[in-house]
Amino acid sequence: MQPQTPQDLVVHAQDIRKSFGTHEVLKGISLQARNHDVISILGASGSGKSTFLRCLNFLEIPSSGSVAVHGETIAFSNGRIGDQRQIERMRQHLGMVFQQFNLWTHRTVLENVMEGPVQVKQKPKAEARDQAEALLARVGLAERMHHYPSQLSGGQQQRVAIARALAMEPDAILFDEPTSALDPELVGEVLKVMQDLAAEGRTMIVVTHEMAFAREVSTEVVFLHQGLVAEQGPPEKLFNNPESEVFARFISKIR
Amino acid sequence: MAFLDTLATNLPKLLDGTATTLALTGLGAAIAAAASPGLALLRANGPLPAQLALRAYISFVRGTPLLAQLFLVFYGSGQFRAELTTLGLWGFFRDPFNCAVLVFAVNSCAYQTEILRGGIQAVPLGEVEAARAVGMSRPTILRRVVFPHAYRIAWPALGNEIILLMKASALASIVTVFDLMGRTRQIFSRSFEFSVYFQAAVLYLIITACFVYLWRFAERRLSRHMAAPGRA
Repeated sequence: MQPQTPQDLVVHAQDIRKSFGTHEVLKGISLQARNHDVISILGASGSGKSTFLRCLNFLEIPSSGSVAVHGETIAFSNGRIGDQRQIERMRQHLGMVFQQFNLWTHRTVLENVMEGPVQVKQKPKAEARDQAEALLARVGLAERMHHYPSQLSGGQQQRVAIARALAMEPDAILFDEPTSALDPELVGEVLKVMQDLAAEGRTMIVVTHEMAFAREVSTEVVFLHQGLVAEQGPPEKLFNNPESEVFARFISKIR
Repeated sequence: MAFLDTLATNLPKLLDGTATTLALTGLGAAIAAAASPGLALLRANGPLPAQLALRAYISFVRGTPLLAQLFLVFYGSGQFRAELTTLGLWGFFRDPFNCAVLVFAVNSCAYQTEILRGGIQAVPLGEVEAARAVGMSRPTILRRVVFPHAYRIAWPALGNEIILLMKASALASIVTVFDLMGRTRQIFSRSFEFSVYFQAAVLYLIITACFVYLWRFAERRLSRHMAAPGRA
């Protein structure tokens, strides 16, 4: 084992709590992602897994807890929204892939991938364009780059969304149920791209229902139950002999 | 043919009036269009006092006749001539054209603000979240995501509002502006040649038809991304 210092951590969330009104969705969740980690977050619907992921890049503002990314930390306490500039800075280092793709529908595929680098990182357009073309070739969509998102299938749109996240050269990529909105026959092409990213050592945090992905690709599995981490560890250990009864029940239901 | 004869004699004046009508409408609509994006944002997401103030303004404009608003400014400003003179504004208010432009701008701005607010609130939230997630600042998100969508959504209604404004601009003739309607009334009062009203109607129709054509052309350009699948 390498020595663990906070500097090795790409993402470090501590004791994240989140309430909507009187309903406490997250009851104190911590997560550490080191370089090259692929962490799958599992859980039944309503367990808080998507909310937790969205707290990591501040699409939801935690009620309390702290998030550290790229050498910066924001600590939240009740009512404090955080420094908007700092939030924007930290978000640049975390890619996000959404369940519904959320491509900018009024821009072409190529423009979608160039948008972040040009508008946020002030990268010169020619450079951003070369990079975007290379990324689109990598996800197998080079010949679709002048199409609009509405002209693509769901799987193609999600691959564009992955290229868009990669274009920011993030420290880690967050995936929020990236295959849940896809027709079954399109799931494979997206998982394949994600598998390739994992193989090249990208740091990924993936909320998913794809048990095969969690089991075979991820380096760590976190199982959330009612807003708490119910089980956590390497996938082979968790899937072969789960410690908690809730996780045992969860995987038996999925199979 | 008598109709064509009178048209030939009337046409220079009618075209002069048409230019004034276009100037009235164009200036009014353009000033309103410049002010409406900021106001629409405030109306959609601003602090409560700003929202209440805007609602009051929009209710007033929508709830009172345009002619009354025009009289209020044109005749009302005369009541305050001394004060306006000391402020150096009398020169502006004593010209009926200026009063009409001001009233049309304020009036159309209320409608455009309300239309654009609807567009802003219909922007897909997911696309805004995607922009946040790459670290865009709020002004960048407005410029790159929110307004492009909001204008696309609001476009047909905005065009409609400008056509309504163009037709309503005939009211300016009542406060002595020689727009197309003003010229028409002037010609009629001298010649009692009724066909001049028909000639004016044709000119109004031509303006509207040209505008609709241009607006649709722009709409198609704005909607390129919504083309049917398979069409590049």
